[in-house]
Amino acid sequence: MFRKLLFALLIVSLLAACGPAQTSIPTAVSTEPPVTEVPTVTSITLTDDLNRTITLAGPAQRVVSLAPANTEILFVIGAGSQVVGRDETSDYPAEALALPTIGGYSGYNLEAIVALHPDLILAQGGGFNSPELVASLENLGLTVYVLPNPATLEDMYTNLETVANLTSHESETAVLVESFKVRVAAVDEKIMPLSYGPTVYYELDATNPTKPYTAGPGTFVDQLISRAGGINIGAALQIQWAQISLELLVVANPAIIILGDSAYGETPEKVAQRPGWGTLTAIQTGQIFPFDDNLVSRPGPRLVDGLEAMAKLLHPGVFK
Amino acid sequence: MGIRATMSSSGTLCASPTSMMKIRPYLYTLLFLFVTVVISIAIGSVFIPPVDLGHILIGWLNRATFSEPLKTFAFILTGIRLPRTALVLLTGAALGGSGAAYQGLFRNPLADPFLIGVASGAGLGAVLAMSYEFSYSFWGLMAVPAAAFIGALLTVFLVYAMAHVGKTIPTTNLILAGVAFGSFASALTTYLMLRSTGELHRAIAWLNGGASQAGWGPVLTVLPYLAIGLGVLLLSGHALNLLQFGDEQAQQMGLPVTRTRTLILLAASLATAAAVSFSGIIGFIGLIVPHIMRLWFGADYRRLLPLSLIGGAGALLLADVIARSVMAPQELPVGIVTALVGVPFFLWVLRRAKNQGYW
Repeated sequence: MFRKLLFALLIVSLLAACGPAQTSIPTAVSTEPPVTEVPTVTSITLTDDLNRTITLAGPAQRVVSLAPANTEILFVIGAGSQVVGRDETSDYPAEALALPTIGGYSGYNLEAIVALHPDLILAQGGGFNSPELVASLENLGLTVYVLPNPATLEDMYTNLETVANLTSHESETAVLVESFKVRVAAVDEKIMPLSYGPTVYYELDATNPTKPYTAGPGTFVDQLISRAGGINIGAALQIQWAQISLELLVVANPAIIILGDSAYGETPEKVAQRPGWGTLTAIQTGQIFPFDDNLVSRPGPRLVDGLEAMAKLLHPGVFK
Repeated sequence: MGIRATMSSSGTLCASPTSMMKIRPYLYTLLFLFVTVVISIAIGSVFIPPVDLGHILIGWLNRATFSEPLKTFAFILTGIRLPRTALVLLTGAALGGSGAAYQGLFRNPLADPFLIGVASGAGLGAVLAMSYEFSYSFWGLMAVPAAAFIGALLTVFLVYAMAHVGKTIPTTNLILAGVAFGSFASALTTYLMLRSTGELHRAIAWLNGGASQAGWGPVLTVLPYLAIGLGVLLLSGHALNLLQFGDEQAQQMGLPVTRTRTLILLAASLATAAAVSFSGIIGFIGLIVPHIMRLWFGADYRRLLPLSLIGGAGALLLADVIARSVMAPQELPVGIVTALVGVPFFLWVLRRAKNQGYW
């Protein structure tokens, strides 16, 4: 009996030992937060997405990002060197990949977060990071700021400015946001006069090709397709991330198919071979394009890149 | 129904008259639990040297303060690992103990703590609470566990109300009503999740046992319910033994059958509901642990209940260690691990068991 138990224990401990090497705590010297040079630093007080009032003694110097959009915001406003940890899915920009990860979608690792000695944890609201996670981190005495999930490009700019306040990059960010607005206006200017807009089917996931997922009304995908001079057939659906039946798709008969799931191996050739899809005009005319979904699904600064890419794809003639 | 055979086979296997033989199963399972507690405290994504572990634990008990680097270690250990270990231990004990009680109550080897819809009811409650945006406050955060707890208990009462015939509750009715209501609640849960506009992974994580909030709050909250539920179960060993002979015989032997069954059912459901409310739904522990204990140590419920309780705690602790190690620093919902690791292990035990037909 005893041997059985021992054997069982052995197996399980072996299994546990197969995991990746344990991260060790940085030494005491390196964990000391860098002393802020500016003596006139005043504390920063902001209200976050959960209506919590967050006060920082000064600009955050050791930020852990819990969402890919947050990581992209931090790096784009020039606060990349103040980031000490990221979630597993934060894969942009390339510099971020060098940072230690603290878990991700399936579960965040509180120990790994604590070990990084963050002075700010940047979470994402709108259900991306659960209130339980925020409470757990808060109970550990950590400072968490929950950035709202933006609904519009303007909201996204506001998020940039908020993070700029938290990390003291206000002036660069003001310039950056201005440049984003100029780029968006440039797209608007070319698209507005057009009388023709192609119908677009944006594919998120076609694991079941008779009922693929597409972006419904109000999503950034939907907003950017409209702004780029297209008509999103998913806009007619009821919910934001919705399955569309092949029947509806055939009736809507989109002029252009955009493969947001190309990162998962979907190609125009594969789409053309799906049973029942051959009748679609877009397939007969070869109007199927792979697309970098991260540009339009992450509520971060690359939405502007996404808008430009989408506009070029839908109206190649105007963007020579 | 091989209960008579079981009792005699348990006699030949372990329960020899000497007192040493009687306490041996407890020694083994308690040792197993002790080892798993040590592993659970010692292993994490941050490596804490064993020497420091000892220092911190002793210092923590004496309310000492630490300086770096021990300070961070102490923080991780007492703020994260110890409360997590405690919550997992309690949850595992509740699932193992309730599983044994349900199997005895229904005289059905397929019974587990979720048989009559506790899990589906809790899931429905939790997902309902998640679909409403509560303010970020103590009570707002309590909404999901509270709704899960209420959902679980409501389900049990509804199933009970539907299943009883006159003054009796036929087992078959109870199981069928439970399974039917469970399917109904699961379907409703899935519908709610599909309708939801927000992120689904909070709900999915909860439904797979990956939901726990850190800190001592959850531990202290579930403790009273578990103490009542598991306390009653620990006292029901004899009654469950009698119930194995069938309701009529048990009644003739002087057991108030309906009242006893109701009490055990409520106690097991209370413990399970409290356990899942904070930890989410963790499958297979409540099914497998009682069977393993029965295969190894016999079917006497006076012993099977405490052993399943201890074994459940140890098994879930191990599953939790695996859940946070295999993909570190990512964490898996523990319900996935209990199934992926627990099932092959259980099949191995089943194949090797000498007393086949033990049920």
